[in-house]
Formats: sequence, C-alpha cells, structure tokens
Amino acid sequence: MRGHLPALDHGRMDLEPARYVIRIDGHLGATVLSAFPALAPQHYGACTVLTGLLDRSALHGVLAEIEALGLDLLELRKLTGST
Amino acid sequence: MRVAPATPRLIDRGDLVAALDRAAGRKVTIISAPAGSGKTSLLRAWAGRPGQSHRLALVQVHRDQHDDQQFWLALLGAVRQATGAGSGAEPPAATPDFNAPAMADRVLSELAEAHGGVTLVIDDLHELTSPEALAQLTRLLVRLPAQVHAILTTRHDVRLGLHELRLAGELAEIRAADLRFSERETRELLDASGVMLSEGGVALLYQRTEGWAAGLRLAAISLTGHPDPERFVTEFSGTDRTVAEYLLAEMLDCQPPDVQDLLLRTCLLDRVNGELADLLTGRPGSERILLELEDANAFVVSLDPGRTWFRYHHLFADLLRLELRRRLPEEVPALHRRAAGWFTVQGQLAEAIGHTQAAGDWADAARLLADHSFSLTLDGQAQTMQALLQAFPTGEDHPELALVRATVDLAQGRLDETAAHLAVAETYAETTPPERQRRLRVAVASLQLSLATRRGDLPGVIEQVRFLASPVTGQSDEDIALGSDLRAVALMNLGTAEAWTLGLPDAVRHLQEGAVLAREVGRPYLEVGCLAQLAFAYIYVGAAMPKSDSFATTQRRCREAIALAERYGWGTEPVIAPALMTLAGTLVFLGEFDEGELWLRRTERALQTDTGPDIRLLLHQTAGILNAGRGRYYEALEEFSAAEDLASQMEASQALASQVTGWLIAAQARLGLTGEARAHVAALDDERASSGEIANARAVISLAEGDPAGALAAVADVLESTAPVLGYVTVVEAYLLAGLAHRELGDQGAASQAAERALALAESDRLILPFAMTGSAGLLEALPRHQTAHAALLADILDVLNGASPKAKAQSSAPPAEELSPGELRVLRYLPTNLSRPEIAGQLSVSPNTVNAHIRRIYAKLGVRDRSSAVQRARELRLLAAGRTR
Repeated sequence: MRGHLPALDHGRMDLEPARYVIRIDGHLGATVLSAFPALAPQHYGACTVLTGLLDRSALHGVLAEIEALGLDLLELRKLTGST
Repeated sequence: MRVAPATPRLIDRGDLVAALDRAAGRKVTIISAPAGSGKTSLLRAWAGRPGQSHRLALVQVHRDQHDDQQFWLALLGAVRQATGAGSGAEPPAATPDFNAPAMADRVLSELAEAHGGVTLVIDDLHELTSPEALAQLTRLLVRLPAQVHAILTTRHDVRLGLHELRLAGELAEIRAADLRFSERETRELLDASGVMLSEGGVALLYQRTEGWAAGLRLAAISLTGHPDPERFVTEFSGTDRTVAEYLLAEMLDCQPPDVQDLLLRTCLLDRVNGELADLLTGRPGSERILLELEDANAFVVSLDPGRTWFRYHHLFADLLRLELRRRLPEEVPALHRRAAGWFTVQGQLAEAIGHTQAAGDWADAARLLADHSFSLTLDGQAQTMQALLQAFPTGEDHPELALVRATVDLAQGRLDETAAHLAVAETYAETTPPERQRRLRVAVASLQLSLATRRGDLPGVIEQVRFLASPVTGQSDEDIALGSDLRAVALMNLGTAEAWTLGLPDAVRHLQEGAVLAREVGRPYLEVGCLAQLAFAYIYVGAAMPKSDSFATTQRRCREAIALAERYGWGTEPVIAPALMTLAGTLVFLGEFDEGELWLRRTERALQTDTGPDIRLLLHQTAGILNAGRGRYYEALEEFSAAEDLASQMEASQALASQVTGWLIAAQARLGLTGEARAHVAALDDERASSGEIANARAVISLAEGDPAGALAAVADVLESTAPVLGYVTVVEAYLLAGLAHRELGDQGAASQAAERALALAESDRLILPFAMTGSAGLLEALPRHQTAHAALLADILDVLNGASPKAKAQSSAPPAEELSPGELRVLRYLPTNLSRPEIAGQLSVSPNTVNAHIRRIYAKLGVRDRSSAVQRARELRLLAAGRTR
C-alpha cells in the first residue's frame, strides 16, 4: 500500500538523525515535493536541492522515493558538524 | 499474468528487440533500468514478435511483495501453464506450511520434465523484498536445466549471487543506456501517434527527455491532437521542471474531467476493476474509461484476457497519488475506507486490511486482522499477516494484535512465545463486550488447540475442544464461516490427538466428520489433513483383530488421500505426511520393502519443515522395521533409538512407545548386546514391562542367550492372551518366537505347530514382516509343505526372506495382453509352491478341472509354456504382489 509514506509516520529512530543535502536534476514542482515533507527545497540553477534532518531509515526511504518517481539524483551529502 | 499484446501506439523497436533476443541466448538476462525506461514494453514486444517460438512463463512481481509463497506459487503456475503440465490439475494452492527450498525444487523438476525450451520471465524483481526468496531464486537460476532461460527485469541491481554465470559468460545485461530511445525512434513514436512535429521539434523533445521512454510516451499523449505541438515542445524544453512531473500534469490536463477524476481516485489501488472504480468515483461507466485508457497508452494495462482488471504503471500511479493528496487531501482516507469495504465483501482480507491501515483506522485494522487471522493462516498467508502486523506504528498498541502475534509465532514454530501471547489475548478477551468476547475466546481456543497438538498434549487438546465442539450459533454469515473453519480444524486436531493416544473409535469419527465439513466449506487443505490422519488412524483400527484385508483397506485409504493431495500440488507437503508414512509402514508390513522404502523417502522430504516430534517418531519407527525386516539390525537399532528419544520428549501414548521399546530391545539382543537389552527391560516401569511387546523382547533376549525355555516362559502370557498387546502382530511374533524356542529344544512338532498358528493369523492380511523380523526362515523351511493350509503365503514369505525381489524392469515387462481374473490370480499364487495341481485345487476348494482351465489361461495371457516361466514372468509383472494386496 503506497498511499502511505513509509519512513516518516513510523517515527522509528534507529540511529541519530543527521543533516543531509540532496541535489536533484530539474525543478521539483509542488506535487513531487509533497513526497518529501521532511525536506526543505531550494532551486539552484536547473537543480533542486533538498535539505533536512534524516535518520538512516528515513534516508533510505527518501532514496527509494527518488527511484520510484524516476528522478535524477545528482548528489548526496551528509553534513558533519564542521560543514 | 498474461502478456498483453503490445498496443498499437508503441513503436516497433526492432533493434532493441533483436538485442534482447541475442541476449536471451545466454542463460540469464537481466534488464536493469530505472522506472519508466520501457522494460515491460520491451518484454511485451519481444514476447509478441513474429517467429517467437519460446514458451514463456511470465510472472510480474506485485508491489512490495512480502509474501514469498505468493511469488513462488505464481512462478509455479506460470511454468505449468507454459509447459502445459497444468491442464486438468488445480492451480497450485497456498498452504500454511510453506517450504521455500522445496518449492524451488518443484519448479526445477517441472522445468526439467518439460521438453523443449522454456523462458522464465520475471518482471519487477526489485519488488521481491525477502532475502530468502532471492536466495532461492539464485539457486533456481544457477541450476536451470539446458534449454531453459531466464529474463529478469528490475529497477535497481538486485543481490543475486550469479557470479558463476557471469564468469561462464552466461549472464547478459541490458541497462538504461540500451533502452533509451534514439532520435530516430523518437520520430517514429511521434509518427505512430499521428503527431506532426518539425525536425527541430523532434530534436528538442529528444534532448529534453534524454530518450527516456516514460517521458516520451507522456509527451506523445499530450501532443496527440494538440493544436500547437511546436509550442508545447518549446515550452516544455524551456522549463526546468522535472520531466515526469511536468508531462504528467500536461497529460492529465488534456483528459476529460471524468477521466481525470477516475485516475486520481483509483490510483491508490494496486489493481482496479470497473465496479471498484465506480464505487470510488461515485459514477458509473468506469470500465469503458479504463478500456479506452488501455487502448490509448501504455500506462494502463489489463491483467486478464477478459480485460476486467487493470493496473497502472507504477511510476504513473506514484505521481498520481502525490497529485491526489495535493488536490483532494481530505478525500484520501474516505477512498481507502470505501476500497476496504469493497475488498472485505469480496473476501480479500489482506487488501481490505491494508486499505484500512492506509486510512489511518488502526483500531479497525487491528480488529479485522485479529478476526481473520485464522482464515488467513489457512489460506497460507502467514507472511502477508506478518507484514500487515509490522505496518502498525509503535504507539498503536492494540491488545487484539496479541492474537495475531500468537498466530504468526505458531506458524513459525515458536511455541513458548505463542503461549505468552495467548495469555495476553485471553486476559484481553475478558474485558471485551459479550458479542465480541465469544468470537475472541473461540479464536484463542483454536490457537491453544493447535499449540496443544504440536506439543502432543492430549488433555490440553480436549480442554480446548470443549469450546469449539459446541454447534455453530453465530449471527452473521461471517461468524458461521469462521465457526465452520474453526470447527473443521478442531475436529482435525482432536481426531489427530485421539489417534495418537489410541482413542480410536472417537478418532475415526472426528476425523471423518472433519473431512466432510472441510469439503463442505471448501477447505481442501483441511480435508487432506483429516484424510491423512484418518489413514494413519486406520493402522490401529485394523491392529486389534486380524480382519480380512484391513491392511489393504488402509493402503487404499492412504493412496486416495495422497491422490487428493497431489491434485492440489501438496504431494510432498507436511500435511500429507501421515498418509505417506502409513503407506510406507503398511507396505513394509506386507514385505514390500523396496516400495515401502520409496514412500519412506518421500515422507522424509515432506517433513523437511519441522512439524513436531510425533510424526518423526513414527518415521524412525518405520525406518527401523524396514531395516529389521531386511536383517540390518544395526541400522534398525539406530532408528529405534532415535524414535525412543523422541517418545520421551513427548507426552505420547504409552502403548506406541512400548512397541518401539520392544523392537529396540529385540534389536539389541539380536546384535548380541544382551546385557544392555536386559538393563533396558529392568529400567521399565511395571506397567510397560507387562505388555506383550516387552514380553516378546524378553523372549528374544532369552533366545540370544541360548535359553529357549526362558523364551517360552516369556511369551506364554502373550499366547494365553493374558498380556495386553497393541495388536495381533505381537501375537504372530510371539508364536514365531515360541516356534524358534521349540526348535532349539528339539521339539519339531511343537515348532511346526507354532509356525502354523503364526501363518494362520497372518493369512488374512498377508503379513510378512513379523516372519522377516524374527528371522524365521529356518523355522518355516522345516515346515512340511503338504501339511500347511497356507502354502501360498508361506511361499511368498520365503521369497522375501531369501531376498528374492521382483526382477528389475530391465527385462521385457510388457504387460500381459489381457488382465488376469481374480480366480486366475488366486491360482497363480500357488504356482511358486511345489504343490501339484490336485493339491492346489484342494487348497482352493475347487475342482481340478477348474484349476487346469485357469492355468491354461494364465499361460496364454503371460505368453509362457511352463510353470517356472509363468512364475518368473509373474514376478516381473509384480502379479504375485498384486494378488497379495487385492
């Protein structure tokens, strides 16, 4: 049943959440953005950058969503304390 | 899952199809590319191309397929359909005890039996979530027979350990870059859709979409009939919006409002039909729209030849769902609820519960799941149940779920956890309102019953059955159906427990009732289970008194139960194991050691998933008597020891245990381990020690110690019927042991008399095993042939004892031109003896002329001219054996 977003509503925290920066090709419209409610979008040139706090399972949920929607992942970066 | 013909709007990507064709020459081809790359369309084009000669077994893995069994059943069904093996048989059905390696083996053996090429096609492999399923699939792929190939599609690379194939050059891959449309193909697609676009426009579209199939198809839909295609393309390439999102929005906008509404409202279903769509849109006419959508584009596909059920392309559906939640958020729970209601009425509980969860109605979902956990288990949906259970968020704590947890734990053999969860469920049941309380109590009782059966705890079983045996008084149809299911299972468990503790008339009655009820309510799994246990119970029904043909009747019942199981593809499932094993045991008792061994092996295969110590005990026991019958006492001792170990772990019937112990001690004695044998006897409690089976064992020890008088004393109680015996087989053994003792004492007359008595008892069932196990060859050979009333049986026994087995079928064993009549078969059995024709006539109480006539016909039918040839031919054709078990 995919009418239900996996990672977010379960609130299962297995590891400490971290800040991630995810760069996707193209401008994501409102519809597709609604698939990533935990992430804040910003347009940079022809890309969209999604930023947010994710734990491990939430991160994999986001990656699965990116795959499912046929989006083009350009970059994934985890921000450590210094960056 | 049929391969729908490629729709006319798809172009013929000839080069790509040819590439796949070349790749498919290797053992395994993997097509790995992101969503919307055109994998499935390529498969369909390849499958439908002219000159396609391969037989295809096509499986499309369902979304988020948690349930391995569903996948394997679909694969098995597809293979059967492709090879034509399935015609006439029922489609493979799910069972509560699923064994993945056995399933994979079944698929392999069906493939091996298919002559000529078969291609397995597995679409959407990435949806198969379980590592176990992937492991078994790898095993399957690595062992594919020659002429069988596989094509797999997936969105991302999947962990299949196919390195060997890769190294051997037997693995082909097709990846996203290969699937991209070229500019020329883009032009062809547009032409096929009747879209007029300039060269520049085509180039622009191609660049913007980068040849991505889904993008191009969405664009083609919007462009068809568009007033200004050039402007559309210019705008499209001028935006930075992601391709899918932009084009989906465009495509949706150019649909009539009722179509848009349908797409949005039905996208949250995994599959949709007209009726369900009408329900969700609140308007009629959905079926027509769905059909038109399928005709117009590749995003909607029908799932059956009748085109009643449809599915949306996953990417398409995912985008629509997001769009739905954006546009009509408040409607989403209501849509899920309506779908849940519809699926509930259809009896598709797993889907109904999933939608209820999606609607956020956790309490309702818990109740539904708990109420139906029993029938879901019987339907073999244990893994689905587990997935549904895990979908409940932490924090949604519903006490009814304890019942579901108990069900899942029991299915996976975690008995202590099951008991713990049942305790929680029982406590909870007391707090519920009366109308639910009965139902919950019944559900808990049924699980307690299964648990008690697994533990071999008969008192526990009876306690639970009290509840369930009361007549069904439910109000709703649902209650009645559930009640019948529970009642059938209760009868099966009760009958089984009674059979194991030898409460036989009750066991037979309950199992028969259970089988009839199971058939009425359409639960073939339970019907097979009852019949299998019934076949087992009959061994002991026949054991009390030598009744004509009781072994033959048992055999017939076993074979009938097995045939029924095979109809459903359950021929080597644990459920039929009791019948397999009973058949093996029966054949061993009748001296058919080779065939008995075959059935024993098959029982072992069926018991690979653990089903409890009780049946393993009998398996070891049967193996033990087989070995003992063949004179392999060392192996027999090992088997009997294993059986005894198991018996001590169970609260099993004392009588059954005595039989094993008796044979074990006898085996020890025959191996010369008389000290240990005596010690074993001494360690028994008085009740056990006074049974006939142990008395016989003591006699064997005495004989081994060279004390025939002691042996006679030991069996005296059995022969005078003062010692309790499990069945008359024990008495036959006792006579033989007495005969051996008399022989040692030099009293040939008494020895012959005892042997004759043994033969008399064994005659009606044609029992051979006791003679083999006691090593009575010498005793029997000393019997004056002309003074026995059982010459035929005697000859058969001596055949088996002297190791004569039916000649290998290597020699010509064309069956006789005409079958022998029963009268002829009776005469045939006397031919191996050295009785003359008048003597045979005397034995059969017919005239010598009759015998002569029979013999003439026998010779004619067997194509022989003399008695010894007739005997040899009869052995080749196994006619002597057939006569024995008729």
